[in-house]
Amino acid sequence: MLSALIVMAGIAIVLGAALGYASIHFKVEGDPLVEKIDAILPQTQCGQCGFPGCRPYADAISKGDADINQCPPGGEEGIRKLADLLGREVKPLNAENGVEKPKAVAFIGEETCIGCTLCIQACPVDAIIGAAKQMHTVVPALCTGCELCIAPCPVDCITMETIPETVETWKWRYPVFTIRQAA
Amino acid sequence: MSDAIHVEVIYALPDRPEIVTLTLPSGATVQRAIDASGLLQKFPDIALGKANKVGVFAKLVKLDTVLRDRDRVEIYRPLIADPKDVRRKRAEEGKVMKKGGGPAEGAEATADAD
Repeated sequence: MLSALIVMAGIAIVLGAALGYASIHFKVEGDPLVEKIDAILPQTQCGQCGFPGCRPYADAISKGDADINQCPPGGEEGIRKLADLLGREVKPLNAENGVEKPKAVAFIGEETCIGCTLCIQACPVDAIIGAAKQMHTVVPALCTGCELCIAPCPVDCITMETIPETVETWKWRYPVFTIRQAA
Repeated sequence: MSDAIHVEVIYALPDRPEIVTLTLPSGATVQRAIDASGLLQKFPDIALGKANKVGVFAKLVKLDTVLRDRDRVEIYRPLIADPKDVRRKRAEEGKVMKKGGGPAEGAEATADAD
């Protein structure tokens, strides 16, 4: 009787110690799923999904507040990756959030730019170089093509230029399967 | 961390922006960063303090401003258009100048685009 109690107590102590050690040393900061979702999103920070950026959208997806088909820049490929990660059905892009467009970067027409800085304030990724009454220039390497600078420009000097597919910009694509329309 | 700062110096031409990443001792000025970047040798057209003004993250600064870690020194180019002319022309064409560019207006415009 006594030996049985000692064995049970011993097991309880050992397992308790193991759990306590694990909870301290293997503690996970934040939700790892959010990181994974955020890694799939295109980081354009364009807000077309209805959230203020890619990270808040990733948060909303992991909580179940948002669907996986609200990111036009990510397109069908992005939806597919998200569906794979979360084990959900692939569905077409929600038209309310916009349409998938070819990758483009903003370009400032230098003849009309008046140096008002409004586009710089709108840019979520600091891709526009310029200051008050100085020429503004987009750095294509930093521009995500979110189009947020186009609306604020008072002289409509910003245009989107499609990036042509060259050897430098080409990327291996995810295999595309057409989505069957639900009857 | 206090003895070295990392800064970028950028000179943006419309077709090819030049970005130089530098590590400088703390207390370095804008002038020092631009000298160290070698952009003045690469682009002899840059006239610091005359036609080309400098700034850090879209704010104009003087050449003797002390930099902080992760600052981006930007060398600007003068405007081609005269803002007054552009405004006058647009007024004549009957186009409206939008004021401000806050998030509210940006959101409206996105909604319109949809």
